[in-house]
Amino acid sequence: MIVASAYHKGRVKLTPEMLDVIYSCTNCGGCEVSCKWVYELEPNEAIHELRVAAVESGAGPMPNHKKYIELVERNKNPYGEDPKKRPGWLTDDITTNESSSTLYFVGCTASYRREEIAVATAKILNSAGEDFRLMGSDEMCCGSPVYRVGDEKKAKEIMKNNIQQFKEAGIEKIITSCSGCYNMLKVEYPRFVEHDIEIVHTSQIIEEFLRDGKIKLSEKVPMKVTYHDPCHLGRMAEPYIPWEGEKIEVLSQVYIYDPPKPERRGAGGVYDAPRNVLKQIPGLELVEMERIREYSYCCGAGGGCKSAYPDFSLWASNERLEEAESTGASTLVSACPFCGTNFKDGIESRKSKMEYFDLTELVLRSIGGSK
Amino acid sequence: MLEKNVYSAFEKIVGERNISQDLAVMDSYAFQWCNEIESAQRGEEPQRFGVRPLAVLLPKSTEEVQAIVRFCNEHDIGYKAFCTGMGPWAGLSNPRAIQIDLRRMNRILEIDEKNMYAVIEPYVTNAQLQSELFEFGLMHHAQGAGPQTSPLASHTSFVGPGFTSPYTGFSGRNVLGVEWVLPDGAIIRLGSYDHNGKWFTGDGPGISLRGIMRGWLGAYGGLGVFTKAAIRLFSWPAPKEWKWKTSGTIPEYDWDIPPFWKMYVLNFEEWEEYQNAMYELSDREVTMVATTSAPEGLAALFTNTKQEAIESIFAGLLVKTRNYIVMLVAAHTEREFEFRTKLVQLIMEKYGGNDLIEEGVTVPKPMHYGETVRNMLGGHAFRFSNCFQSTHGGMDTIAMAVRLAQLNQPVKQKYIDKGVIGDDRGLGVWITSYESGHMAHMETPTVYDPTSVESCLGYAAFQDECNQMDLDEALGMPFFIVGDEVHNFYAERTMHYANWIRKIKAAFDPNGVSDSSHYVKGERKK
Repeated sequence: MIVASAYHKGRVKLTPEMLDVIYSCTNCGGCEVSCKWVYELEPNEAIHELRVAAVESGAGPMPNHKKYIELVERNKNPYGEDPKKRPGWLTDDITTNESSSTLYFVGCTASYRREEIAVATAKILNSAGEDFRLMGSDEMCCGSPVYRVGDEKKAKEIMKNNIQQFKEAGIEKIITSCSGCYNMLKVEYPRFVEHDIEIVHTSQIIEEFLRDGKIKLSEKVPMKVTYHDPCHLGRMAEPYIPWEGEKIEVLSQVYIYDPPKPERRGAGGVYDAPRNVLKQIPGLELVEMERIREYSYCCGAGGGCKSAYPDFSLWASNERLEEAESTGASTLVSACPFCGTNFKDGIESRKSKMEYFDLTELVLRSIGGSK
Repeated sequence: MLEKNVYSAFEKIVGERNISQDLAVMDSYAFQWCNEIESAQRGEEPQRFGVRPLAVLLPKSTEEVQAIVRFCNEHDIGYKAFCTGMGPWAGLSNPRAIQIDLRRMNRILEIDEKNMYAVIEPYVTNAQLQSELFEFGLMHHAQGAGPQTSPLASHTSFVGPGFTSPYTGFSGRNVLGVEWVLPDGAIIRLGSYDHNGKWFTGDGPGISLRGIMRGWLGAYGGLGVFTKAAIRLFSWPAPKEWKWKTSGTIPEYDWDIPPFWKMYVLNFEEWEEYQNAMYELSDREVTMVATTSAPEGLAALFTNTKQEAIESIFAGLLVKTRNYIVMLVAAHTEREFEFRTKLVQLIMEKYGGNDLIEEGVTVPKPMHYGETVRNMLGGHAFRFSNCFQSTHGGMDTIAMAVRLAQLNQPVKQKYIDKGVIGDDRGLGVWITSYESGHMAHMETPTVYDPTSVESCLGYAAFQDECNQMDLDEALGMPFFIVGDEVHNFYAERTMHYANWIRKIKAAFDPNGVSDSSHYVKGERKK
């Protein structure tokens, strides 16, 4: 906030060190919880706006960000993979219905790097009898990696085109297994592009399937697991509620908002659904870490950090893994391919005995679908 | 900018990663609460950016701090240590100066359960220390600035009143030994440490250096750098099996109140009855907390949002609140609890008081009990306008605190009528008793708009008038005196004490490099 204020007042310029400060934030939203206890502040917004200003002035984003933004524009994904290979994860035993109004939006990481999540998700949907279609090689990045580093102009274009594509395809509901995609589609898109498409994360739809008896968790998964809340499914998943009203001076120097302004404080994210699912898996024991839900520690990969500051990302992942190990759990579970990738890197770097699984993988195992 | 050779020398001491002179980073140190008042007084736009350091260094050990300080002495570079920082006194006054950020020195070095002291480094926070102490059934005195601030900074360099002051005193009273890098770079350790390795006292066999080190008010970081401090601990009044447990979420947390705790808001129609009750409650040591403010203050203490606070003010607090004491009976055992609560009842009846909690006028939630002992309640006052500041107040007797509060009211009202400070009808004070009631603290928290010239200047004028009233009405000494000018103001009628602290400053800081900032300036060696 101070740096943003100094920049806003023209006291400082975007020096390399300042860019490091701005871009080494993982955009985890921790400040949404800790900094709004007594003050009216929007620190996360300030960081984002600094990034936008950095891009607009030509100083930002960081070189590695620029590279992947180019790849997103050219190949529809930040990894530079061939768009035609996007549905390469799709196996013959998965059924899709291209005329369905429900879309499984796979996302770049599950399509190219963590295909097991895409497979597990699709198989769970099949098992529940949930009709869905894919965009296949036409699926475009959700825009998260572009938006997060402040290239708002390009990100808006991506959002607009994606919504146009969804509308043309008659999509009414989108299921996503990626927390980053979920945050974009559910929280950020409506700020820039109007849409009334229902956005659901896999943890939520699986919880719904279980409630409605559409799937049964019958196979034992004998594991002691601990669950990591992805920032973009937790703190950052709280929707923005537009507010209109007036500021009234009720006492000298003291103002209130009429009607009261809704505050985003991170507690309204998707925290219960993944836990409710895990608790129903037979044989599985869920133990919690110290920092969970809105107080969860970030995996370290978000906000473009894994690309621009890989050492820092890895360090953060190791911090979280140390906490996960201290619970006595053998397995770390989360619900985000990007968190998963960073944790897998962390496990390798610290030679941890811990295993990592996405929530969908354990559910697939329990419904007998991984046999 | 620092000369290249100077920067390289500093870099050698702390390493490349632990030094910066980037302007944006420097500005994050120059930015301090209340700088806006001083900038408005200089005729500038009110702003929080004060003097920018030429560089910031992050040492990790006493040896590194010493090397930095020695280098500063050799090259005529000012320096000031910084830890959690809250106010312009944390920043610099000398434009050719560096800031020594002690955030890497954040370890609790020792908790001596039997002899009841802890040895801490500068960047240990109140929250960090408290959470470790509960395991031992102990607590420390945490200053009212809040759980995020440094107890070492407060114990070594400020007065440091807090919400538990009736039980734990104030920070200046609780500092035992210190490891102190003197302004010229020499290191001394006060008290018992050097002869037996224990830190239970800061006084040695000869004269006590504690008076020189901090005296009454503390030197606000203007007399070298403290790298370790041993601070006194107190028994945590809860059964051993009780554990700190929170639940819920922001802004509605829940907290498991220890079994023998009860909060009261004892309300008295007149100041005289209030004063007598305050003396007796403190003397009988029945309460861990004895806090007084305005109805608006009560609204801030026991609510979780500004909206809720405003609603509670108009829902009855204005009508039903007079002169009150927020009290917390916190006992170890049931019998102790019964005895204390009976005594509270008797004292309340004796002085014709009523309990606003029992009458449902105000309802502290369980988390507010937790917030009280975490010293977070003061921070609630920021909710009203995102800003408040307190006058220099007084640190004297309970009777003097009451007199200050009474005399303060019409002065404050004058500025409220001008519309430059927040409206609490002049009643907004903070009083707490210390140490069985033989002393008390009074200050006047005042809400102002940090972005308005009129409001900043209005607050400053109010403060000046209060200072003048201290002298005119013989209201004792303030708990907080900033800078040479204000020291001189009071010193005229107090045996010119400021000359003595200037002599100490000059003797210990012969090169004048330990940035005085809001402390006194000593004479430099010719």
